[in-house]
Amino acid sequence: MTTRHEVCPAEELTPGERRIVEVGNLAIGVFNIDGEYYALNNVCPHQLAPLCEGRITGTVTSESVGEYDWEKNGQIVQCPWHHWEFDITTGESVFNPHKVRTRTFDVEVESKSDRDEQVSCYGTSLQGDEPPVQTYDVEIEEDIIVLYI
Amino acid sequence: MSSQGPKGAEAVGLTIDTDVHQTRASDEEIEQYLPKRYQSIGVELPGRMYNNPGGVLREDVQNEDGTPAGSTPENIQTHLFDKFGIDYGILTGDILSLSVLPNRDYAHELARAYNELLVDKWLSADERFLGSVVVAPQNPKGAAELIREYGSHPQNKQVLMNSVSRGGYGHPYYWPIYEAAEEMDLPMALHPSNQGAGMSEPPNAVGYPSNYFARHNAMPMLHIGQLNSLMSEGVFAEFPTLDWVFIECGFTWVPMMMWRMDKDWKGLRQQVPWLKKAPSKYIIENTYYTTQPIAEPERPEQLEQIFEMMHADKTLMFSSDYPHWDNDHPEYGLPKMSESLRKRIMYENAEELYKVSE
Ligand code: FES
Repeated sequence: MTTRHEVCPAEELTPGERRIVEVGNLAIGVFNIDGEYYALNNVCPHQLAPLCEGRITGTVTSESVGEYDWEKNGQIVQCPWHHWEFDITTGESVFNPHKVRTRTFDVEVESKSDRDEQVSCYGTSLQGDEPPVQTYDVEIEEDIIVLYI
Repeated sequence: MSSQGPKGAEAVGLTIDTDVHQTRASDEEIEQYLPKRYQSIGVELPGRMYNNPGGVLREDVQNEDGTPAGSTPENIQTHLFDKFGIDYGILTGDILSLSVLPNRDYAHELARAYNELLVDKWLSADERFLGSVVVAPQNPKGAAELIREYGSHPQNKQVLMNSVSRGGYGHPYYWPIYEAAEEMDLPMALHPSNQGAGMSEPPNAVGYPSNYFARHNAMPMLHIGQLNSLMSEGVFAEFPTLDWVFIECGFTWVPMMMWRMDKDWKGLRQQVPWLKKAPSKYIIENTYYTTQPIAEPERPEQLEQIFEMMHADKTLMFSSDYPHWDNDHPEYGLPKMSESLRKRIMYENAEELYKVSE
């Protein structure tokens, strides 16, 4: 059964950043790549190192010998041990995408509209019977990142 | 953070990690021990000619203040010893590339300063830290001095030199080092560093490879070359009680060299008449190899055959290489093997070689 877990407010995870969260006995890396969110198991299939704590980088491909093409900038995480590269968007390794991969999880951004706040305008402090400074009811729409496991 | 983390000492059993790199937090740590004449120079080592795009130190275990992994006793205690239940770690440091410096005196003083720091900062911090006396091989007389001086520290368990040298280590030029090591009852150990830089020989027999990938692949050739030199020049015959540890350059080549040397010895013995027994016998009795980076054959069980061929129950010792990028996991790094062989590799071989509890 899928369960829902709030990770953090969306603004706390800006593009290019990641956060490791623990849910039960799972550790999961949540990544923001250009405003899209992805989640990977923080366990490398090689020697079980904390994969998601490695460098976020790109990868290099080649059309022919002697050529280098930089690709997938910001979309690759490199295991901090032994440097195997994984595509954050799919969990697949670069060197053997079909056989060597790490588990991915669904992650979404949800609006949260259940917080009403009284926000005061700027004004002088109230004295005696002076009318109160005008107030507004403000609904702050806060986006939160949610993980489904 | 890994949820499927190790079960610690219970799972791994008694363990000696034979390659742990304590790392200086800054050059000043070493510089404070340099003599006046080198204070203005400080630590000047050749830069890396070969670069790893992902860096060399593990980034998941950096200290919070940004200092590198391995730069404080707590870092190694927390992320290696306590996490995996390691009983002892042989410290191999971060300064071996001093052997590629042309200035013999300066290289020697750097080694001395390093050894001072080792005693002051590391050996005093935890009994689980066992040291290696680092020497500058281009200065054999100075090296022998350092071995006699620092080798008497009860936690210093071996003499360590870069695998990279000018000419093979079998040459009698280096023998004063071995005399001192034998006298102090310490094994000699070799570990590669910055091969190809400074005045070092090319990292492999066909010259300078183009990139880190190729240089890393070629590391076994360093130790094949050194073992060949030690054997042919008669170091094992001249220093029969001196043991040698070959760190981080693989071990699957050991059977190949045993067989090849034995075969050649039968017909070419006249050139090495001092060898009183087949070379493989010296290899089994006088040499040790460390596991990391573990070989990962298509069928992991094939490694068991290699273990048997190289007499791993006498010659192989576990190493993690913490905190370097290619370090091996103490529990998941090694393939399945019999419990008795696992014990030999994880603890007993190193226990017997280093006499850790003395
Ligand atoms: S543990 Fe991740 S690449 Fe080895």
